[in-house]
Amino acid sequence: MNGGIGDVRRLFSSLWQLIRGQDQRGRKVGWMIGLLRPYRGRLILMFVALLLETGAGLAPPYLLGKAIDSGIQTGDVAALDLIVVAFVITSVLYAVSTYAETYLVGWVGTRALQDMRERIFSHLQSMSIGFFTRRSPGVLISRMTNDVEALNQLVTSGMVTIFSSTLTLVGVVVIMLFLDLQLALITFLTFPLLAIASVVFRIVSAGTYRATRERIAAITAHLQETLSGVRVVRSFGQESQHMATMTELNEQNRDVNMKTVYLNASYFPAVELLAAVGTAVILLYGGSQAIDGAIQIGVVVAFVGYLTRFFEPIQELSQLYTTYQQGMAALDKIFDLLDTPPDMVDAPDAIDPGTLRGEIELEGVWFSYAEDEEPTEDAWALRDVDLHVPPGQTLALVGATGAGKSTFAKLVARFYDPQQGIVRVDGHDLRGVQQRALRRQLGIVPQEGFLFSGSVRENIAFGRPEASQEEIEAAIAAVGATEFVAALPDGLDTEVGERGIQLSAGQRQLVAFARALLAEPRILILDEATSNVDVRTEKTIERGLERLLHGRTAIVIAHRLSTIRRAGKIVVLEGGQIAEQGTHDELIAANGPYAKLYGAWSDSTAA
Amino acid sequence: MRTYRRLMGFLRPYRAQLWGSLALAWAGMGMTVLIPWLTGKAVNAIKSGNQPDLLPLALAILGAAILRLGLIVVRRVVAGKVSLAVEFDLRQRFYAHLQKLDLGFFDSQQTGQLMSRATVDLQSIRFFLGYGLIFITQNLLTITLAAVVMIVVNPLLALFALIPAPFVVVAATRYNLVSRPAQQEVQQRIGELTAEAEENVSGIRVVKAFAREEFQFQRFQRAVGRVFDQSIYATRLQATFSPLIGLLPQIGIALVLLVGGRQVIDGSLSLGAFVAFSTYVAMLAGPLRSLGMAMGMAQRAVASGNRMFEILDREPAIQSPPGAPDLPPGDGSVELRGVTLRYGDAAPALQGIDLDVEAGKTVALVGPSGAGKTSLVGLVARLYDPSEGSVRVDGADVREIDLGSLRSQIAFVADDSFLFTATVAENIAYAHQEATLEEIEAAARRAQADGFIRTLPDGYETRVGERGLTLSGGQRQRIAIARALLADPRILILDDATSSVDATTETEIKNGLREAMAGRTTLIIAHRLSTISLADEIVVLDGGTLVDRGSHEELMAGCGFYREIAEHGLADSVFIQRDLEEREEMAKL
Repeated sequence: MNGGIGDVRRLFSSLWQLIRGQDQRGRKVGWMIGLLRPYRGRLILMFVALLLETGAGLAPPYLLGKAIDSGIQTGDVAALDLIVVAFVITSVLYAVSTYAETYLVGWVGTRALQDMRERIFSHLQSMSIGFFTRRSPGVLISRMTNDVEALNQLVTSGMVTIFSSTLTLVGVVVIMLFLDLQLALITFLTFPLLAIASVVFRIVSAGTYRATRERIAAITAHLQETLSGVRVVRSFGQESQHMATMTELNEQNRDVNMKTVYLNASYFPAVELLAAVGTAVILLYGGSQAIDGAIQIGVVVAFVGYLTRFFEPIQELSQLYTTYQQGMAALDKIFDLLDTPPDMVDAPDAIDPGTLRGEIELEGVWFSYAEDEEPTEDAWALRDVDLHVPPGQTLALVGATGAGKSTFAKLVARFYDPQQGIVRVDGHDLRGVQQRALRRQLGIVPQEGFLFSGSVRENIAFGRPEASQEEIEAAIAAVGATEFVAALPDGLDTEVGERGIQLSAGQRQLVAFARALLAEPRILILDEATSNVDVRTEKTIERGLERLLHGRTAIVIAHRLSTIRRAGKIVVLEGGQIAEQGTHDELIAANGPYAKLYGAWSDSTAA
Repeated sequence: MRTYRRLMGFLRPYRAQLWGSLALAWAGMGMTVLIPWLTGKAVNAIKSGNQPDLLPLALAILGAAILRLGLIVVRRVVAGKVSLAVEFDLRQRFYAHLQKLDLGFFDSQQTGQLMSRATVDLQSIRFFLGYGLIFITQNLLTITLAAVVMIVVNPLLALFALIPAPFVVVAATRYNLVSRPAQQEVQQRIGELTAEAEENVSGIRVVKAFAREEFQFQRFQRAVGRVFDQSIYATRLQATFSPLIGLLPQIGIALVLLVGGRQVIDGSLSLGAFVAFSTYVAMLAGPLRSLGMAMGMAQRAVASGNRMFEILDREPAIQSPPGAPDLPPGDGSVELRGVTLRYGDAAPALQGIDLDVEAGKTVALVGPSGAGKTSLVGLVARLYDPSEGSVRVDGADVREIDLGSLRSQIAFVADDSFLFTATVAENIAYAHQEATLEEIEAAARRAQADGFIRTLPDGYETRVGERGLTLSGGQRQRIAIARALLADPRILILDDATSSVDATTETEIKNGLREAMAGRTTLIIAHRLSTISLADEIVVLDGGTLVDRGSHEELMAGCGFYREIAEHGLADSVFIQRDLEEREEMAKL
């Protein structure tokens, strides 16, 4: 029951903020209503169905009372039959309009939320790579999934509850007042009791239910972790330790759930008691009135019937609190994302450079991943880099981790813009080139080949879906993957699973190589592309590399001496600066840092 | 039926509470049935102008309601306790069993499958045992009581009033059975959508690199469309069944009005009984509906129970024999004799391996992936049992000694070391929980981890692991080394990094390893020359067989396969990454 009072205070402060427009809820809700606009027609139909449903739902107690007063009491069988017919018609009408209302609300709400998902997705895709490195992937994914789901509650059941419960409540009050003013006012005495009890219950239980969700999430997380780390648990023989943790979590879960049992055990029976009190009061007071002849007996019976219909909407409305809170929290999070403007959009006058020759030029380039205007001295990943790569040349980048090799490659792909200096391809400043026109002509093979779920074929043709069977097979042959693909259960049509999990790291890398080759890139970037594959795969790729590098500009970041030695130019990076550059023979002759690195390698193989 | 009986076994410890809550539920239901009867009486009193009877009847209604309140509150608390206790027991039992099962079992199971047993299946069993059973008996009782009262008062009218009842149960059961899979399919498709979103966020570099944003958007749209279609299907089911189930009792009321109204007019039924009848029919709607729901619940619980028992019935393949002695004292010699290991029906992972490792020596295992290196070290810790042959540690066959005593003398350090979501200190003290902070820090210092741990936000109290701070591979490995050092095993098993780390880290790891290996038998799965150089002897594996063994020089000279691996296969990361300073210092020596 902790946090009950705090929650009440929070409810009021959020209402106050809503009134004053401080958290821009008005704008956000307005935007959400805008999502519904395309479905106006269905929405109007839904409201019609809702009105019919509410009206038809209110009729039965009245008709029952009428049947007693106008049919049974007067002995008028014809009137009785008529009322029964009306009863059946309203019941059927109720069922039919409920069907229409449920279906339409589900349709419009779900459709609007799917539209919202697509908007978030395309907004995300317009963001730069820098944005993705700064944000946790889990959080971004959750915006499209969990947060949209949380809104679902608000949009579908919340919307219906507000309208149907309010309508029902108003309807019941009006009918009761119309049937008998005095009896109605006495019945309404139960209203404040019920309303207070319900609101307090919802607020207190919202906190408790949150606690139960947290407890069960902790259990699931612990179980998940024990399963992922099962090798460690087994090899250290620590099963009893995990069992003890589980017992503790399990006990916490049981205890916090017990609180919800107590809460429910006090609230729901209390509501039933209140209903019985109401019935007793109506019978006692209304009964006396009926005996005195002030009202008809059917009215008393109708009142008893309306009592429960009067309780339901109050209970439902009180439930809105939780739905509203969760939905709004989700909406705030989604807006936090949608309000972030995309960085690195193409300039309006950006050009399509046409087919590239593949000339790369860096001029006085300074780059830092830090977002500050003035990065600290250590934060520069590249400092004052000048470099020219003529078309068709293979450039090998050498240096320790953190020397700036990958950063160099990322600037050429324009994943980032440098803080100072210019990156040019074929003489065009990249900031004036359409990003997609540039990237379509790049082939990047990263350290870990990332594959998408789908078949091997789809993955290889990722960059050029229109590629023919022959072209795909040629690409596979060129990287030496023919044997491995043929050995797969369904050949090219084998599903690779999420992130390509069904393939080994080496096989994934082969597919990534074929994918890059098939895209017929003008500039090829291999970023430590072979560091994670085993001996045999490595050798196959080596053989294909010749074919891959032929006739195009390439930037190679590699560990293997054989690859580096073959490069037209070797650049040694140290702390973001070019330490030296030249061919293998030139650099060995210069006896600088490269020669020392080479010496170290020769020593260690001899060791 | 057998599964059903076994499920009921979980309730056995709570028999007393269960009967108690049933008795309370019955008494409470008795009160619920009594109230409309009293209301009917009141209507009769009103009709006959019997003012004095009205107050006692109103008080009786109030009394019955208060009594019902008491009964239901106690019933809910007792039943809630039982339900939670059953849930607790089920989870403990399942988890404890998982802790006993062998690694071979986990290799053959998908984590997702096990998780779904532990969450979805456990949930449906506990709902049935905790609430479903009580619902069923309670609702059956309400229906029976109401029906009996109605039949006693007026059999003909009762017949008409009860006509829709079976249809409600059938419709509700049917709805429950079709809507559940439909809802699960919605969840399944949301899962697919999540995976799609996840791939796009994780693979955004590839998407951007190939300029395939539009294509990926279409893929996402398809996933969104699939969620939409299924949601609409589930909504339509709800939109159809829910009003239908609501309509059926209304027909009962209409029949009561039609037939009962005539009976009141011709005087064969009192007005009060008529009102009571219509109240009963309305009142039955809820119990009939939840009876249907509980029937669906029972069916699901049996299906879930079958899946659950499938795991609970599985005997752990690797256990200590009863009364097994502890591992005899020794310094950690290892002996493999004619060992063949098969996982399931696949080709053997190891075949005919004979290997002796003297106590205190370091042996490097070298070979391409799939050569059997990981399987071999797994056998030593008895994570698996060999299909043929025997494994001995300090002279004792590992199958004949106490498992705990064996594993406490073996520690693993993997290249991609798994850390639990806990503080750094807790992770280091994992296998030796009574360790003091001084001991933990000492181990971290020896593992060359103390330096970077102190730079973490909360030092040794920083939470790491899946739900904590993400550490680099090199950092995780050094914590794992400290963890192994603190466990102080006779045998150390290392799996070195295939991925690249920078020069300083590599040196630090190597120093840490050297420290960890001192005075114990060490098996290294080696991928790089710098770790191989730590070994006394190198064993070359290929395709599950032992190809050759010897020193680096001997193998370079005599083993073609090893030469091939050493020259091309091992990550010669030293070339790129050993920092220049170290080179210069070494040059001075």
